[in-house]
Amino acid sequence: MNNSVILKTEHLSKSFFKYQVLTDVNYELKKGEIAAIIGPNGAGKTTFFNLITGYHTVSGGHVFFRGQEITNWQRHKIARIGITRAFQISNIYPKLTTYENVRQSILAQQKRTLNLLTPAEKMAKQETLELLEVTGLANLKDTEAGILSQGDKKKLELALALACKPALLLLDEPTAGMSSEETHETMELVKRLNKEVGLTILFTEHDISVIFGYAEKLSVLHQGILVAEGTPEEVRQNKEAQACYLGEEI
Amino acid sequence: MERKKSFIKRYWLPLVLFIIALLLPALIPSFWVHVFTEILILGLFAIAFNLIFGYMGQLSFGQAAYYGIGAYTTGLLMVKANWPLIATLPVSMITAGIGALILGFFCVRLRGVYFSILTIAFGQLVFFIIFQWYSFTGGDNGLQGINPPDWLFSAVPYYYFTLIVVTIASIIIYFITESPFGYTMRAIRDNTERTEFIGINVQRYMLINFIISGMFCGLAGALWGPFNRSVAPDLCGWQHSGTPVFMAVMGGPHHFLGPMIGSVIFTFLNAFVTGFTEYWPLVSGIVIIFVVMLMPGGVFGVIKEKGYFKAKEPVSNGTNPVDKGRD
Repeated sequence: MNNSVILKTEHLSKSFFKYQVLTDVNYELKKGEIAAIIGPNGAGKTTFFNLITGYHTVSGGHVFFRGQEITNWQRHKIARIGITRAFQISNIYPKLTTYENVRQSILAQQKRTLNLLTPAEKMAKQETLELLEVTGLANLKDTEAGILSQGDKKKLELALALACKPALLLLDEPTAGMSSEETHETMELVKRLNKEVGLTILFTEHDISVIFGYAEKLSVLHQGILVAEGTPEEVRQNKEAQACYLGEEI
Repeated sequence: MERKKSFIKRYWLPLVLFIIALLLPALIPSFWVHVFTEILILGLFAIAFNLIFGYMGQLSFGQAAYYGIGAYTTGLLMVKANWPLIATLPVSMITAGIGALILGFFCVRLRGVYFSILTIAFGQLVFFIIFQWYSFTGGDNGLQGINPPDWLFSAVPYYYFTLIVVTIASIIIYFITESPFGYTMRAIRDNTERTEFIGINVQRYMLINFIISGMFCGLAGALWGPFNRSVAPDLCGWQHSGTPVFMAVMGGPHHFLGPMIGSVIFTFLNAFVTGFTEYWPLVSGIVIIFVVMLMPGGVFGVIKEKGYFKAKEPVSNGTNPVDKGRD
């Protein structure tokens, strides 16, 4: 396997009872790439993420991360080796404050969560505040996360994922529920992380401007099958992709 | 000076409660000193239970097993091996912790009602082992003659001894709840799934918490034996496992002192009502119905709702279309 390939799937398949949700997906993502998976609702995008991150068990095929097979590993182990995800529907700690949410994720990354006697409020202050600043949540740090607006919850979702300092970040519709201004800010942040830190990013998205504005590589899923792949321009020209998702106006 | 002020501002309630507890024996007859000793012991039991219920979000109906293991460890060591009371306390915590490790290993694999049912099943298992093992535990006769040393024999000294042990144990538990581990428990309670995805082995952490809870339940049990001068298998039964549940629900599981306040209400009512009628369970049942229907967050829940602890308003940074539309 090529060293620059960070994520690879071979014949990856998933079925729920008799329903085949993902069929024989062979996919490769290079280190430092920013790529998108697109497709209509029900195409299998989230399932693809779920299989990579151990959320669902794989029915067939293999997942490799940095050349190491991680198929059906436990979720926390996958997170520990450097794959983190942000969920489509924000998946945060509603009873904790925004600050406590982010601190929890940072302390987990620093492997300090088994500390029983030091007050958590004295730990990781600087890092937490910095990340809140970067994700635009600094002014909401004392707000209970459950009562944040939908857009802010999505930002917090991203902050929780970034706090894990991943090598590969999977973002499932990262800008859903955000205003156009927030969408732009968030995607600029993602792009900056990609350029400055070399974070590899794989995202799904429905917003065409986001897809073509930020992804260097596109893959089109349709009914669980990978039908097209290439640069945004190549996919734009691809007849199969046009037929199943993009439509003629693209 | 500033630090001292913020310390008092933050901990005024436990400080006031502690001062009241210190003064109580001078103000009340010895019957009520006994009652308040019981309040402290059961309060520690409830605080330890609440590590699982309030902080980890799972309902254990089997914590009496560890309370019982602690009580029997102290009882057996004092009666059969003549150990001093103080030496038996850490040993009781260790045996209860080992019990929690063995049984918790299976319980933490389950969640919700299945977790609760397994804790009841294991609790009953411990109950029946103690109940049947006549040669060692005295079976249904229990163990008698667990007498504290002379200096602790009367009500007031034993009360102060209990107060010191319970205060130290509560401070340790409080530190644990405020540590990164304590926040990980809140994280597991709030969103187990997300906690796995930030790289935490949820089952392992739940087991550690189960053991810590079991150890402090064991410590509470260890204080009970010499207080009551005897132990009986009922201490491990499922009905006794319900006691800390009632207390936490009454006082408020989302505040550290909630279970202790619940213990004050529950034990005080018990002592008071049994003076008038033998139908104490009927009264406690009515009180529970009242609390669950009218005060779902317990006493502390109501205080918080009434705005005593400043409620947080929904806040947004104003860049959302929904918020913009409000103007």
